[in-house]
Amino acid sequence: MDIPKQQNAAPEEDLVASEYLTFRLGDEEYAIDILKVQEIRGYEPPTSIAYAPPFIKGVINLRGIIVPIVDLRIKFALGTVEYTPFTVVIILNVAQRVIGVVVDSVSDVTSLTRGQIRQAPDFSASFDTKYILGLASMEERMLIVTDIERLMGSRDMELIDEAAAQ
Amino acid sequence: MTIDMSQFYQVFFEETAEHLADMESLLLGLDVGDPDDEQLNAIFRAAHSIKGSSGTFGFTDLAEVTHVLENLLDRIRKHELALRTDMVDAFLEAGDTLKGMLAAHQGGAPVAADAVDRVCGNLRALTRADAPAAAAAPEPAPPAVAPPPAALVAYDIEFLPTVEATADAEALSNLLHELATLGELEVLARPAAATPGLWRLRLCTAAPREEFEDALEFVSERDAWRVNVAAADLVDAGGAFGLFVPPETAASEAYGFFEPVAGEAAPAVVEEGDGFGFFAPLPAAATPVVEEGDGYGLFEAPAATVVEAAPPPPAPLPEPPPEPAPPPRSKPPAAAGAAAEAASIRVSVERVDQLINLVGELVITQAMLLQCAQQMGEAAPETLVNGLAQLERNTRGLQEAVMSIRMMPISFVFSRFPRVVRDLSSKLGKQVELKMSGETTELDKGLIERIADPLTHLIRNSLDHGIEAPEKRLAAGKSATGTITLKAAHQGGNVVIEVGDDGAGLNRQRILAKARERGFQVSDQISDQDVWALIFEAGFSTADVVTDVSGRGVGMDVVRRNIQAMGGRIEIESMAGIGTRMTVRLPLTLAILDGMSVAVGGHTYILPLSYVVESLQPAPGDVKTLSNQGRVIRVRGDYLPIVALHDLFRVPGAESDFTRGILIVLDADGAKAALFVDALVGQHQVVIKSLEQNYRRVPGVSGATIMGDGRVAMILDVSALIESARTAQAAAAPVPA
Repeated sequence: MDIPKQQNAAPEEDLVASEYLTFRLGDEEYAIDILKVQEIRGYEPPTSIAYAPPFIKGVINLRGIIVPIVDLRIKFALGTVEYTPFTVVIILNVAQRVIGVVVDSVSDVTSLTRGQIRQAPDFSASFDTKYILGLASMEERMLIVTDIERLMGSRDMELIDEAAAQ
Repeated sequence: MTIDMSQFYQVFFEETAEHLADMESLLLGLDVGDPDDEQLNAIFRAAHSIKGSSGTFGFTDLAEVTHVLENLLDRIRKHELALRTDMVDAFLEAGDTLKGMLAAHQGGAPVAADAVDRVCGNLRALTRADAPAAAAAPEPAPPAVAPPPAALVAYDIEFLPTVEATADAEALSNLLHELATLGELEVLARPAAATPGLWRLRLCTAAPREEFEDALEFVSERDAWRVNVAAADLVDAGGAFGLFVPPETAASEAYGFFEPVAGEAAPAVVEEGDGFGFFAPLPAAATPVVEEGDGYGLFEAPAATVVEAAPPPPAPLPEPPPEPAPPPRSKPPAAAGAAAEAASIRVSVERVDQLINLVGELVITQAMLLQCAQQMGEAAPETLVNGLAQLERNTRGLQEAVMSIRMMPISFVFSRFPRVVRDLSSKLGKQVELKMSGETTELDKGLIERIADPLTHLIRNSLDHGIEAPEKRLAAGKSATGTITLKAAHQGGNVVIEVGDDGAGLNRQRILAKARERGFQVSDQISDQDVWALIFEAGFSTADVVTDVSGRGVGMDVVRRNIQAMGGRIEIESMAGIGTRMTVRLPLTLAILDGMSVAVGGHTYILPLSYVVESLQPAPGDVKTLSNQGRVIRVRGDYLPIVALHDLFRVPGAESDFTRGILIVLDADGAKAALFVDALVGQHQVVIKSLEQNYRRVPGVSGATIMGDGRVAMILDVSALIESARTAQAAAAPVPA
């Protein structure tokens, strides 16, 4: 009795769609859970912080809150790192923190069901695959579905004190 | 129809709580040997206000306890009784009981009736014990908590309604209606409708006069009404009223005004705030005119009280003049008025935060406009420039005002500790003195509320475990009285609160033994710091005896967790036989700091002004090197290490020639260093924002702030900077041979 139930349940869950924000980093396209996104804004030169790694550009004032800005292009060595009036910052709300992320461009918001997301091939110890939930295909495009919360909270991002990081 | 009082209950609760707190702090501040009259009066006023308003709002239980309290206070105030420590204790206990009763009315757990009785009994015993006059008074003096006796008294009421009340016919008819519910009401004189004029009523009632006096206050100014006892129908209800009427006047004198003995200096008519009192004492009379300890105090006690009760209205009042009677002493409204001045409104913290952020935005917008106008230069119309200058002033003012809403002096927390220490030390049989400093240190309100419990625990801990019993102290060559110090100060963007004692200090061996017993892996070699940190582990207590004060081991770990939850940390220093000091460091999530902004390679940094001693521009050759690495400069005879901010923070494009930049001499707790920067920019009040909220700790930076142009600037952690200079220099200094 249990077995058919489970078989039925899985596809049903697969049909539940979630919304994802997609953005570009070089030639790659990433998708993150839209509920983690607070807002999207233009890039403004941040105040640099001493002892910060190169990909942490500094902090900005977001309506009275001090928000660190991470340039994912530097972090992942993707795309050309230049700051123009069209450079976009995605303000994320993850792990009770507000963090800004610089990307090449924001594409759109898409709905993906669980069934559309395929497991990514295992690149073993490679850094960025640890935070990949899976790959989704939309027509010609391949979306890298990323667990942005885990990525931002990770030790690699150096955004959180050692003690607080898991 | 009576006025619905429930809408005022909240006000009553808050006011009464305020009065109780006042009373407590005054009591604790009393010098028992030589009490200050002003303070005694203030305590009396607080008690009286509580009694008055409790009566008004129908909380008779509160009023009764306060009444007993007030009787004793009154006697002390009038120097009939000498103040003793046990009285202060009784007062404090009564205060606690009242607080409990107040809480019960607010929906808290009810206070046990026997506890209330005990407190009242205590107070009464104290009142009576030393009162020879009371001893002479014919018993029984029924407790004030007894139901009001049913003696009918006729009162002559006169009042001049306020302008509003005159116009409001309903208010007056309500009053008449209410009075009529109390007893038999007769209107002797009334002005024409809606015209100002004097009202005269006669009320025959068994109710105490307070009940309708308060009603009068609603329609009439405090000084514009008076109530006289017209006739007391002496149905002596078990002596409760203690009316002793000389036989010759009792039956015939309808007005019951006693003529004073001619030539007596004593005032004839004594008006007492809550007394019925128009019966003048007859000093010469042998009739027992005595103040009756617990009753309604119809009679002023002879001699001493008479002096106190001056000045009276003119003696025998044939026809009381219509002008306002002198205000009775310490009437509730007087004190209530004072409370209203100090009144506060409760606003949710989110609203305040929203306000703060909005003002922050406003400041930035204003700075932007100003910049715009400056770019226009000559082309900017003068009115625009003037308007912007005014806008700047106003926004600054607004910002400061808004910022100050959240800040509260830490005395809000500290003020409770004298009581804690007093109670505990007497319970534990120890002699302890509490020294406090830095009570005015301002701290975010949110932190104030949350720091109270951990601090209380630390103080209790110091008292219980730290301070030794007097004999032990004397044996150790210390004074019998232990000292607990409580200090607060701003330090490097933190608020530092220290709880210190001069007790026995922590026992390393015992903590280690206990740790092993608890199964912690510890070696004998670990540092003192690590040993002390063990006491913060859950379930850790080295107390031999579990008391109700401490020793259950559920305290210190909670303290540490609470402090950490606030983003703070706690450190312990201890020396055997000398004492223990616990230092709590709290971040300023929201505090204003006087800062000096400095520029380094196009970046702006903020230095807390309190650390800045002076600034100087070095001449060539002033800066010397140590081992070709560390650099020092001689300032007023001292060699100070130089910290180059651009080196430390690796800021590109900064000035590196010492003669072209500027050196700022900094002093943090006696450690000095010279900080090298490109230039001084200005002086600002800045709001400290946490960098750790969304980022992590950065060495040398205590926080961040938002500048007028909306950009973020880092606030430097001066202590850490100086420390880094010291270590750099130590590394550079030649190793002594």
